[in-house]
Amino acid sequence: MTSGEKHVEIEKELSFGPVHPALIEPYRIRLFVNDEIVEDCELNINMAYRGIEKLFDGLPVERALLIAERVCGICSHVHAWNAVRVIEGGLNIDVPPRADYVRVMTHEMQRIASHLILFGHAFEVVGHETFATRSFLLRESFMDLISYVGGNRVMPSVPIIGGIRPRADLTESLKRVILERVDEFEEKYKGYVTRIIEDPLVMSRLTGIGFLTKEDAIKFHATGPTGRASGWDYDLRTKMDEYKPFEFNVITDESCDTKARIVVRALEVFESLKIIRQAVKNLPEGPVVNRSWKAEEMDFTTAYMETYRGELMHSYALDSQGKIRNYKIRTPTPTNLAAMEHACVGDHVTEAILTIASCDPCLTCCTRAEVVDSGKSFVLSDFEIVRKYGWRK
Amino acid sequence: MNLKATSRKNAIHVMVAYTGGCNGCDIEVVNAVLSPRYDVEQYRVLLTWNPREADVLIVSGVVAWQMVEPLKKIYESIPDPKGVVAVGACAVNGNVYKNLVGDIGQNEEIWAPVDTVIPVDVKVPGCAPRPEDVIAGVVKALPKILEAP
Repeated sequence: MTSGEKHVEIEKELSFGPVHPALIEPYRIRLFVNDEIVEDCELNINMAYRGIEKLFDGLPVERALLIAERVCGICSHVHAWNAVRVIEGGLNIDVPPRADYVRVMTHEMQRIASHLILFGHAFEVVGHETFATRSFLLRESFMDLISYVGGNRVMPSVPIIGGIRPRADLTESLKRVILERVDEFEEKYKGYVTRIIEDPLVMSRLTGIGFLTKEDAIKFHATGPTGRASGWDYDLRTKMDEYKPFEFNVITDESCDTKARIVVRALEVFESLKIIRQAVKNLPEGPVVNRSWKAEEMDFTTAYMETYRGELMHSYALDSQGKIRNYKIRTPTPTNLAAMEHACVGDHVTEAILTIASCDPCLTCCTRAEVVDSGKSFVLSDFEIVRKYGWRK
Repeated sequence: MNLKATSRKNAIHVMVAYTGGCNGCDIEVVNAVLSPRYDVEQYRVLLTWNPREADVLIVSGVVAWQMVEPLKKIYESIPDPKGVVAVGACAVNGNVYKNLVGDIGQNEEIWAPVDTVIPVDVKVPGCAPRPEDVIAGVVKALPKILEAP
């Protein structure tokens, strides 16, 4: 990011990470500082390259969905779901409504768990350990529910092509447990959020830093809560067919600062609770999986959906044997990164890390393409990869 | 139990080295130490980010090539006696990233399993392992540290 055309004297460069991979996530922040005010910021993310898009090439579809789930450990369900949506859209596979309800429910459960991780991380950066540990404690009730539904705390693998795994179907007793736990959680969570908002120390630390205007959010395509905290009313859930039966509000905030980003996420949890309640109470009867599909040749198909951090894209084609070709993933973080870099500019150095943390970067899933050339590594765009290596046929 | 073991037992420092997995294991490890439900801090097991004061190194994730040299450096800078715990299927055998049957065979971008890079004492399998398993793995690595001369 450059700060306009005018030339700015850079006094000093500060660099954080990943010299030490013991940072929670491996990334490097370069802050160009002038008299302790950040003039420019650069985020390098190329530390966790696994070549995950190439792994999909030539795998049978059902098998590739296992890898799709392991793109990210925080938003595992959403990657599995979106990978399934691609083939369901491309080959017109009908999904039973009961399966859609369970998928939506798991999605919202993981959204809550993900937002609570952010609170844990952000308040650890602020230095308030009580709030951080309390958010980890609150998160446990949803990790339990996810493991009751899917059998694993982190990788529930609920969706399969044409529906959900029969194991993840909700029984009457599980429904009762979910409703009870959600009520219990809401009460505790209300107390937690009230404490945060009424705490003058924490609020004065968060207010008025890391500004990201609505124009900038739209320009950088900062989706998800990061964009919504800048007053940009953009939520793909309002356009998705799966979310048609549910009633919820899109939370936006006009104040555009770090506080807004935390508050938007805090209020989104209540909307997620609403959706979970509706999904459990109105769960339609019927089968959970439609097995009458066959993998056949499919053109390049793309599916977009709203994850916890923004907009996610998966796209692939199937060849005549039903093997995957040219898998592409775009997670929300690459577009949000530019917004993070921009939001840091003009603030004191101490606020930079907090601003970046409040945008909720998830860097493991956004490192995907890289070429190493004479000791220097750089990121390639999709076009360059295709020009250099060709489409795999 | 001799005096050394008694004093060592009072402050076990655990360090997490993230080498490029999917974040799932790391959060479970941090959960195991920090979150009030699993809270091992009450048994004086503390999380640290400094290899020079660590006793147990927890490695998670496939070892991406950028992380090979830093991981060796971290291992060397931990003072003896030390224990290494590989957490998660990625660190134990490479998980879905390593062995593939598609067009490309084995994935050469990653260096998993971890014991090809540094010696490993305890392996905790699972994708992702539960925090209880992580705690059990750390406890299994402790006798090596406590009984060292």
